[in-house]
Amino acid sequence: MHELGIMFNVVRSVENFAKENGITVIDTLVLQIGELSPVIPRFVEACYPAAIDGTMLENTKLEIEVLPGNAICTSCDKVFNLIQCKNECPVCGSREWEVLGGREFLIKEIVAY
Amino acid sequence: MKTFKVLEIKESVFEDNNQRADLLRQELKEKKTFLLNLMSSPGSGKTTTVLRTIEALKDEMNIGILEADIDSDVDAQAVAQTGTKVIQLHTGGMCHLDAEMTRQGIEGLGIEDVDFVILENVGNLVCPAEFDTGACKNAMILSVPEGDDKPLKYPLMFSVVDVLLINKIDTIEYFDFDLEAVKERVMKLNPNIKIIPISAKTGEGLEEWANWIRNEVRKWGE
Repeated sequence: MHELGIMFNVVRSVENFAKENGITVIDTLVLQIGELSPVIPRFVEACYPAAIDGTMLENTKLEIEVLPGNAICTSCDKVFNLIQCKNECPVCGSREWEVLGGREFLIKEIVAY
Repeated sequence: MKTFKVLEIKESVFEDNNQRADLLRQELKEKKTFLLNLMSSPGSGKTTTVLRTIEALKDEMNIGILEADIDSDVDAQAVAQTGTKVIQLHTGGMCHLDAEMTRQGIEGLGIEDVDFVILENVGNLVCPAEFDTGACKNAMILSVPEGDDKPLKYPLMFSVVDVLLINKIDTIEYFDFDLEAVKERVMKLNPNIKIIPISAKTGEGLEEWANWIRNEVRKWGE
């Protein structure tokens, strides 16, 4: 469980962004988390109240968009979801593939007024 | 009615850490200090290996140690007894170190005239592999009692390190540990890795390990 420490960094980044852009009140923070990233959405949600306590983001809502963990098979070029297919190409059964996406962890946007 | 606006940030949290890590590496290069990030699971003999490494190299270079632990200063005390400069970093529950924490450690230690720093990371084969600390090279220890299946279970860790020390090699006859199988599994994940079997207890393999460090410290300082 390393989500809390990571979320402290996220909160710090967002506070800096808000200050630079003259924003005083934030309503919602939107994160994008890849299925293959080492950050687990439900743990992020669980520690969010602790991470924002006493910061500019206190009382904000959190939204998480999950990005799919997709790969392309190096044998037959099939694009497939690594989690659903359990790391195996559903067409040719190969376990040799390249990750196309899903390792991301992004601060996507904030909703502010 | 309140009017909301959406402000796009599109900032990668890991990218932020990578940039901090690159910056730290640049500073280390300017100061000619070689920082080695040493990772392993708990109980693999990290601290004993660090102590033996200090013993082997302390007469030829200035060494500093960063000890990272969730809590306690047991390891730092053991290192301090050798007279080596040491800082204990408490991660406060965090299971890994990031570049910012490493920078704080480096600043606390002070690296003027220090040639070689070992960062003893938190004992964990998962999270430390994901975060660039800013170290110049990465090493890990796998000890014989842990078993030869670890490269299969923690592939990322074995993929990101430059050196693998296989520790407690003196106990190999008591365990079902297939050294050749480990080498094969690791080379498949990481063809450029250097593998050195050692025993921090008997001293076996430590000269080869010390030579690797000597060479890297020299190259970094050029």
